Amino acid sequence: MKNYPIWKSFTVVSLVLLGIIFAIPSIIYDENSENWFLKNKINLGLDLQGGSYLLLEVQLDVLYKEELDNFVDSVRLISRDQAVKIEKIDIQENEVVVFFGNKEKIKDIRDSFFQMYRGVTLQINNNKLSIKLNDEYRKIIQDSAIKQSLEIVRKRIDESGTKEPLIQRSGKKRILLQLPGVKDPERIKDLLGKTAKLTFHIVDNDNTSALQNNLAPFGKIIVPDMYDENTKYLLDKRAVVGGENLVDAKGSFDQTEGHAVSFRFDTEGAQKFGKVTTNNIGKNLAVVLDGVVITAPRISSAITGGSGIITGNFNAQEASDLAVLLRAGALPAPLEIVEERSVGAGLGADSIAAGQIAAIIGMILVCVFMILIYGTFGALANVSLIVNLFIIISLLGTIGATLTLPGIAGIVLTIGMAVDANVLIFERIKEESLKQTKVFQIVKNGFDRAMSTILDANITTLIAAVLLFAFGSGPIRGFSITLSLGVIASMFTALMLTNFLVYMYLSFANKKELKL
Amino acid sequence: MFGLNKIIPVEPNINFLGLRRNFLIFSILAMLISIVLLSIKGLNLGIDFKGGTLIEVSTKNTSIGELREILSSSYSDVSLQEFGNENIILIRLQNKSNQESIETVNSVKNLIQDKVVEFRRSEFVGPTISSELLFRGFQAVSFALIAILIYIWLRFEWQFGFGAVVALTHDVLFTLGLLSILNVEFSLATIAAILTIAGYSINDTVVIFDRVRENLRKYKKLELVDLFNLSVNNTLSRTIMTSLTTLLALVSLFIFGGEVIRPFALTMIIGVIIGTYSSVFIAVPTLLIFKFRPQDEDD
Repeated sequence: MKNYPIWKSFTVVSLVLLGIIFAIPSIIYDENSENWFLKNKINLGLDLQGGSYLLLEVQLDVLYKEELDNFVDSVRLISRDQAVKIEKIDIQENEVVVFFGNKEKIKDIRDSFFQMYRGVTLQINNNKLSIKLNDEYRKIIQDSAIKQSLEIVRKRIDESGTKEPLIQRSGKKRILLQLPGVKDPERIKDLLGKTAKLTFHIVDNDNTSALQNNLAPFGKIIVPDMYDENTKYLLDKRAVVGGENLVDAKGSFDQTEGHAVSFRFDTEGAQKFGKVTTNNIGKNLAVVLDGVVITAPRISSAITGGSGIITGNFNAQEASDLAVLLRAGALPAPLEIVEERSVGAGLGADSIAAGQIAAIIGMILVCVFMILIYGTFGALANVSLIVNLFIIISLLGTIGATLTLPGIAGIVLTIGMAVDANVLIFERIKEESLKQTKVFQIVKNGFDRAMSTILDANITTLIAAVLLFAFGSGPIRGFSITLSLGVIASMFTALMLTNFLVYMYLSFANKKELKL
Repeated sequence: MFGLNKIIPVEPNINFLGLRRNFLIFSILAMLISIVLLSIKGLNLGIDFKGGTLIEVSTKNTSIGELREILSSSYSDVSLQEFGNENIILIRLQNKSNQESIETVNSVKNLIQDKVVEFRRSEFVGPTISSELLFRGFQAVSFALIAILIYIWLRFEWQFGFGAVVALTHDVLFTLGLLSILNVEFSLATIAAILTIAGYSINDTVVIFDRVRENLRKYKKLELVDLFNLSVNNTLSRTIMTSLTTLLALVSLFIFGGEVIRPFALTMIIGVIIGTYSSVFIAVPTLLIFKFRPQDEDD
């Protein structure tokens, strides 16, 4: 072998060996292996292993609206204390405007209000007080809502028994969920679709005219029944106790009532609950979940033990799901599903099989073509191509990248494009062989001259791939990853491995002339 | 051994540039037709960009007609399509709001439960997301084009950059026009395909430009037309070889890669052919506009 540096041979051979060795975990693919080496396998994307991808949006508008309602209630209370009449309240998108009967005490009302809510913008104009939800205030609401929602979503998903879920914030007001292996996304969607805000309210049975006119007096609310929209209850607006005081909830079965959810309060909740039930014997207590009354039993005796059951027309699954929701706690605001992609395990397996066949056949076609065109040199390029594939697989495995269906397409495409660098080199060698006869000089010139073209040509493809990664989502990113790795690996295999193989071949075959 | 490469002579002498007027007219026509098609017929937007619900099911003892009948009684805007084989059916629905989707998927599933062996896939893209995806797709394509151009500009003279823009615009428009005619579904994967085509086409163009630049230095007296012709001829066998191997892999992907990836493979096949054509017949002739000889200024 003529002047082929030992260090270079060593580098090439060891890189190739590393590439092959680290492809083994992905080829064997033992899903449950704990072995440090076998763990370096490719992660399959949801589109290949089956599972659900959900994008949820926190309905912040509901929260802003709620906060404005709180403002209204507080202003009413304050003005009642100050004995000032309110003429009109105007609730706008971002602002509450209160018109008072006189403007003498308006400053006092403003100051009292400011004591309760720091960070709102208050403005007085004649007899008008406007309370504005400004951006910082909204941002605080937004951030705490997302943080809380993430936590609750995580709890609910954990409770549902999904393994290895990925739950993360996405952008300003979204939550991204990846649930590998989930067969029934509908149940998860049901679990996430409920706010699960549970409150207990005393029912007002005396004021019948309010229900008839469908107009709740101050401090009361009208809430429909869960099972019959036309049945309505007049309730105290203030909840006696709420879901935040629950420490446990589970599905249970009651001989007389059927499936139910039994729950237990913490100390504070138990005290409140005990007090209210003691003072209100004979009245009804409504259990309100997300704005509907599940049940409103009569309080027959004081309940001081801090536990109880909620009955309704539940089946076993519904009771146990409600228990999950109550255990996990209420979402601060409703979540809306804005994107969903679920793939069954069957389609995923089909896609993998199809991808493998496409890759193998593409590989065979390209290899046969290369041998037909370039003969022995083509065969050498094929060795590089195969090693290239191993390197892509091992890189995917060791960097923990996720292989998706478009990612497989990227690999197949790479098989076709990776020989380009070899072709560029061989064509140069062909040209050089017309100019001179020294075999090794021809090869050296061929590689040297092709180098800058190979770099230029591949960098443009890399630019496209990197931008795809930056702007693409999920599966498409998988494509840009395999394409980039393929391009990088192909530069290495062509410029180093093919180079090495060509030198080896020429040395051992002792070629005196080169005709390509 | 075989060495079939001798079929293509080492220094072929085909007068590509001589035919440039014909190809130019062809390409301009193709682009005009594409623009007309895109504005009248438009693209067959998939749910990624249009929003809506898609459910793929494998069925037993039923026909697409029967399923259509069951579903169209409840949904006016439902469309069904066989997907690969007659037992696999794709159901598409348009949703107006996010809330609707959850109920839609559930009720569709209930309606056809007893005809279905497996729910293979269900996808829902809400209206806000689909417009965001479309916007980001455009962003990705435009940034990629700009980045590629900046690179070409840095590595070559700006005139080459111009030639590359013309060729790329041609490729993207022509490909989109064909997608419109063939009614290929336009999805996120199509955006990926178009970006890859841009990368591939530029790759091809760069190889030829590289040679043009080299020859400009080497043959200072040669007429530009002849020099360009020589450059295209020098690189011809590489251009053909790489396109063929890429097409071999893509055809394999198209045939064997499965139904989901087929539109992507088809788009890539179209794009690779157009990209190869444009590198030779559009990008290089465009350089003639400038009648430039960059190194003249150096001498």
